[in-house]
Order: sequence, then structure tokens, then C-alpha cells
Amino acid sequence: MDEGYTIECPLTEDRARKLKLGDMVYLNGEIIITAGLSSFKRIIDFAESGKSLPVDLNNAALLHLVNYNRRTAEGKPEVLYLNPTTSTRFNQHMPSIIRMFRLRAVGGKGGLDMECARAMKETGCVYLSFLGAGSPFLSSSIREVISVDWNDLVTTYRLVRLRVEGLGPAIVSIDSHGNSIYENVRLGLEERFPHIIDSLCAAGTKGKK
Amino acid sequence: MPVTYDLVKTISKVLYERSLKSVPDDTVRALHRSLAIETNELARTNLEMMLKSIEAAGQRKCLICADSGVPQYSVKIGTRVVVEGDIRKAIADGFGELVETIDPPILEHITNPLTLERGHKGKDVPLVDFDLVYDADYIELICSPKGLGSGQWADLQIFSFPALEVIEGYVMECVRKAGSQHCPPVVIGVGIGGTFDYAAKIAKEALLRPLGTQNPDPFLAAMEGRLLKAVNETGIGAMGTGGDITAFAVHVNYAAGHGFTPVAVCFNCWINRRMSARIFNNGTVEYY
Repeated sequence: MDEGYTIECPLTEDRARKLKLGDMVYLNGEIIITAGLSSFKRIIDFAESGKSLPVDLNNAALLHLVNYNRRTAEGKPEVLYLNPTTSTRFNQHMPSIIRMFRLRAVGGKGGLDMECARAMKETGCVYLSFLGAGSPFLSSSIREVISVDWNDLVTTYRLVRLRVEGLGPAIVSIDSHGNSIYENVRLGLEERFPHIIDSLCAAGTKGKK
Repeated sequence: MPVTYDLVKTISKVLYERSLKSVPDDTVRALHRSLAIETNELARTNLEMMLKSIEAAGQRKCLICADSGVPQYSVKIGTRVVVEGDIRKAIADGFGELVETIDPPILEHITNPLTLERGHKGKDVPLVDFDLVYDADYIELICSPKGLGSGQWADLQIFSFPALEVIEGYVMECVRKAGSQHCPPVVIGVGIGGTFDYAAKIAKEALLRPLGTQNPDPFLAAMEGRLLKAVNETGIGAMGTGGDITAFAVHVNYAAGHGFTPVAVCFNCWINRRMSARIFNNGTVEYY
């Protein structure tokens, strides 16, 4: 396994643009996480109506990570664990959010579509792919829960600002130049698919009793 | 000696917790087998991370995935078993106790489909189905919490007198549609025939079959081999970033039906979450 390297969040545009497709990275610094459709709709509603968000999303790393947060007996926020969710669920909302806040990093698992990749190319933003069901090692990177906002929403939909150390490994799966591993995989699949089906049919006919 | 309410409740809770904090042995073996043959570097990295995640969960007694799923149990009741108490209630109370006691606590994933409100409770949850096992002196409990990541890609379509190629083509369409999104390598369960509900039921049963076992029906065994080869030729790979292993296995069940033929396809993500136990009349419990 490649050793990977560490990146500081939030990323500068220059740093984001230098990240290469397939690079393995570990995140240090500040990230903002949330995993609900309602959270993304609310972010857009706030931005469009000129209301200020409880956290500064400008140039941020906004990741599709599910988390369990709660208050300690002393009233301090804590996050017990986190894990990526399927980012494609948010395809519809991410291009606006990426452009509005000139995000530098987004991420989760399963990727985003090419409309999102175009927005990312414009602003200088990368998509980071985390391991689904990687909670045991991803969660151990949490160093500080800076804030938890939108507490009227269920825990996974809240806006959570974290300080992490060594969050990862994550794979740069969409870069800031319009390249996407997911799109490459999809195009490869589309190219091979007719041949796969033909071979399957031929083999099936042979196997018939 | 009867199988008691208390025992069923305890086992229901234990199975759920084990399913969230560990990965079945057959699946760990399948990961190792995959790593031995995978040629794509990123896929190898993902497979290695999967093994690392299992190891870390074992050391820290934590959840492997934050999505603890919708609670679902299949119960098979032996016709010679003696039961004391309400099994349905025992399972529901076992899950209720799990929610109260598990460390770390689980998220509120149970969703009212009409209002989208979420919590730890909901109508008909835990979802439980019952079946009989002739002449057995045990109750079998299978706990298979289904998460969103793989759950949302299951599909069912009804065909009229389909050729085999149509059925297999449809399975491949489901794989194509899920693409990179269902946390591969997956296990694919296929149910063919019967009725709408029956096809889904036997697809789920196929999904639960242990990995590495041969289908006793040679016709289905050949079909499974053919489909697995085709699925792995898609190049989707571990976590969908490309690779040789998109599925650990394709398992197929069928039932006779009418000329209308339902085909149901479902997926388990790489953690292949399912834990089972048999509770015997004499009070012994076998986990597997």
C-alpha cells in the first residue's frame, strides 16, 4: 500500500490544484462534515437569501461524513464516530455549494457526477474518497469538536466543525482539472458492457439444457 | 425445556451487536482471496484498508460502519421446538435493549417513509419474517441489518416468459446502475420466479448463503459462475475506483411461477452484514 502524504485543511487553491488523481492523502486541520439532504438544501437556502451560516464555508473542506454527535455532561460537544456516506445522493446540490463557497475539498464515498467535477474545476476543489465502513480508523483522527450547529436536525444532518489529525487514508478521486476516477470507471464499463452482455448470452446459451 | 422469551431477546440483541462490530469469517476470507488476485493498485489499497478496518473494530469494540441499518431478522422455527412466550416481542425487545445499552450508541436510522422523521423506532420495525424448518428442534435467528449504501440499489422487475439472456441481462443492468456506489466488493442475491414477494424473499435468502459454497443445482451453479465473471469484467472494483473484484459472489435462487417472471436483485456491501444463531430446545446456542 502506498504510504500517502498529509495535507493541511482548509487547502489553498494552489495546493488543491496540485493534488493528483489517485494520490493517497491524510487530512490535518479543520473540516466541516454533514450528511443530510436537508442540510445541503438549507445551506443553499441560507446562501440564496443572504442569511449567514453558523460556520464559514468559504474555501472549506466540506465532507459527506456521517457522525454521531452529542453533548457531554459538561455541555461540550463530542463526536463519537464518523464514516463516509454516498456522495452521489447530493449530486443535485453540490455544484451550487461548491461554486457559492469556492470549496477546496469535498468527499465521502461513491463519487460525484461530472457536473460537480466541472464546478470543482472552476473553483479549484478535489473530491476525496474515504473507505465505506472505515469508521474504526477514520474516527480515531478526531482531535477537537470545534462546533456543532443546526441542532434542530438529527445528529447526522448537523453542521459539525472538527479539527482532525491524520484523517484518512483518502484517495483523490476527482481532481481540480476535470478528471474523475469514477467517470473513468463508468466510461470503461460503458465501453465493455455490450461485449460483457454478448459473452454472457453466448455462455448462457451454451449452458442450456 | 422450552426456548424462552428471555433467551430469544438476549440472542436478538447479541446478534445485532456482533453484526455491527465484526465481519463474518467467510467475508474476511473472501477479502483475503480478493487481495491475492487483485491487480489494480487503488483496489488493492482499498482491500487492505478494509482488512485494517476489521482489525481496528476488533481491537476497539467499535462500529465498523456508522450506518447501523434497518433492523431485520429472519426466524426459522423448527417444527419440534417448544417455545415459551412471544418470539416477535422478544426480538423487538432485544433490539430495544440494544438501542439503550450498546456502546457506542447507534444513530437514528429508522425512517418513517411518509414524513421522513427518523428515530430508533417505527411501524413494523424490527422487520421480522418467519418460516418453518421441518423436524428441527431449534429456532434459527438471522440478523441482517441493511444500510442505505447497499440497500438502495436492490431492484425488481417482472418479465413475461423471459429468455435466460433477458434475466441475466437485467441482473447486469442492476450492477451497472449501482456503479461505484454500493461499497463493493458486494455479494449479489438474485431471486427468479414465483411472485413479486416470493422473488424478493428468495433473492434475500440467496444473499445470505455462506460465501464459498457451491449451489447444489448445477444449472444455477453455472449461472452464478457466468454472472460473477461478467460482474467482475465491469471493472468497477473495490469501493468503485476501478479493479478486478466488484463482487465476491453472485448467488441465485429460483422458484416456479406463472409466465410472468419476477427477477429480484439485491446487494450486500463488502462487510456483508449478517449474523446467525440456532437456539435449541435444550437451551444451547450455536452462533455462526
